[in-house]
Amino acid sequence: MAKTTKLSLIGLVFLLALFPLFQPPIHSLSFLFLVFLYIILAESWNLIGGFGGYLSFGHVAFFGIGTYTSALLFQKLGLSPFVGAFPAGMMAAAVAAVIGYPCLRLRGPYFAVVTLCFAFIMDLIVKNWWFLGGSEGIHLKLVEMEIRLSRSIFYEIYLGLAAVTVIFVRWVEHSKMGLGLSAIREDEEVAQTLCIPTARLKLQAFVLSAFFPGVAGGLYAYYISYVHPDVVFDISVSILIVLMALFGGGTSWAGPLVGAALLSIINELLSTYIKPEIARMIYGAMFVAVILFMPDGIVAFVKRKRGYA
Amino acid sequence: MWNLVVILQSALSGLLLGGVFALLGVGFSLSWGVMKVINISHAAFGILAAYIAYWGLTLYGWDPMLSLLVSIPLLFFSGLVLHRFLIQKVTRAREIVVASMILTFGLAIVLENAMLFAWAPDERLITTAYSSRALFLGEVILKVSNLIGFGLSMAGIGGIYFFLYHTHTGKAVRATWQDPEGAALQGIPLNRVSMIAFGLAIASAGAGGVAMAYMYSFNPPAHNHWLIFLFLVVIVGGVGSVIGTAVAGLMIGLITGLSGAFLPFQWINVFLFGLLMVILLIKPEGLFRK
Repeated sequence: MAKTTKLSLIGLVFLLALFPLFQPPIHSLSFLFLVFLYIILAESWNLIGGFGGYLSFGHVAFFGIGTYTSALLFQKLGLSPFVGAFPAGMMAAAVAAVIGYPCLRLRGPYFAVVTLCFAFIMDLIVKNWWFLGGSEGIHLKLVEMEIRLSRSIFYEIYLGLAAVTVIFVRWVEHSKMGLGLSAIREDEEVAQTLCIPTARLKLQAFVLSAFFPGVAGGLYAYYISYVHPDVVFDISVSILIVLMALFGGGTSWAGPLVGAALLSIINELLSTYIKPEIARMIYGAMFVAVILFMPDGIVAFVKRKRGYA
Repeated sequence: MWNLVVILQSALSGLLLGGVFALLGVGFSLSWGVMKVINISHAAFGILAAYIAYWGLTLYGWDPMLSLLVSIPLLFFSGLVLHRFLIQKVTRAREIVVASMILTFGLAIVLENAMLFAWAPDERLITTAYSSRALFLGEVILKVSNLIGFGLSMAGIGGIYFFLYHTHTGKAVRATWQDPEGAALQGIPLNRVSMIAFGLAIASAGAGGVAMAYMYSFNPPAHNHWLIFLFLVVIVGGVGSVIGTAVAGLMIGLITGLSGAFLPFQWINVFLFGLLMVILLIKPEGLFRK
């Protein structure tokens, strides 16, 4: 990555980290918190989706599993979600390993549909199982802190997690694993003939891509203090993650970052200033426009315009 | 619960619903199989036709079947235009399936919100003079409106089958599906054939939407709910196969109806999606994949 890009990104993270010190409106902290969340989700999704070419449409399930794991650990064992987020991530990763093993044998749209089903089923199971709170959800004790302070703390944690995720995904992109995944995406049969361990790589990518959403979910439970399937297993979030990553460009680490940030900001601006249905129409038209003119995503389009490969 | 009447009732109601699934699924399967376009906006067009039928009825007193004279050509033409100006552009992308999904997803959002803006999210129900009448087979009750919806669906599927197997253009569509390059070598204009197939698919979505409206209430966001069932039907039946999708639609309808008799309400969907997952993992090509 060019030195100027690296420096400007580090500068941006630094500025974002200092942002809460300027006493901005709490709403902007919440908004940026959500942007960071989508960055975490889209970036980690990209490991299996953009790099591997396996579009998981049920990824929100791992986020939800993370929230419920940490919420239950807090409720039953009193384990603080700041600590509990880690086992939450492990739980999501474990589920991904179990689900991924049979599902990754499917290709293309079939994989997409099976993961979508998985997310639906998780949503329905949680809603109907008393142990997990059913459709009442789980209420957590509010963080015992003044609201601005707690929002700022969550903001900084999520900023850090987003940065870690982006750095990790970038590292994977340039690693042997990333190369193997690209080969799988381009042509899986050929990759197999090259002795690339496709099954192992796919599973690894899938598990890793579930871990970060799990951790993010674990923290999110504490942030909103109330965990309910409609919120954390929301299918439209799942679809949105895919769109954000592909909108920005699935083949590079920068794509989901750009996609998540841009789409969140555009969505926020549209909903604030324009009537909701018209805003959504513009939102939808935007997808159509981007896919027509930039079918490989924004980052790839910009790179090509600049003259890079 | 093991009452024969209840079982028969749920089975037959489910079967009638299945007919509608079959019609909607056939169009969806056609565009997926022939053009490799997963049309996420398929069900949304169905809702549009349902609204045309609704407004035709409430504003002008037209029978919903008459509204088809308006919606079918309108939707067919829309399909042609959409294909020519939007979808043909993405068939050149590296990943047709992905690009088409995103494109039609955007389209679905635009369509849904246009309808929301124009007609509000209120649930609409089509009630005609004969809506409350029913056919009685012993103790089993079959509503006339459901029967009409089913009849419409069967007519639609029959029409599509006739088109695909007994008309020149239809055979060209099948040839394009089986082997695009071979078809091109035969002098078949791929773009035009795909355009017609897509127009037909959208038009069938319209017919399916009206048929569905005979049975259930609807509003703009309902297309999301229908879409899940479409995926289920098409995957079980095998993408691109008209007969397969039709049979799968009937089967899914039957299973939905029967499970309504045996399972608590909230578990029906879990059962259906679980079934879809199992089928995908065991035999993703579907039952009738040629």
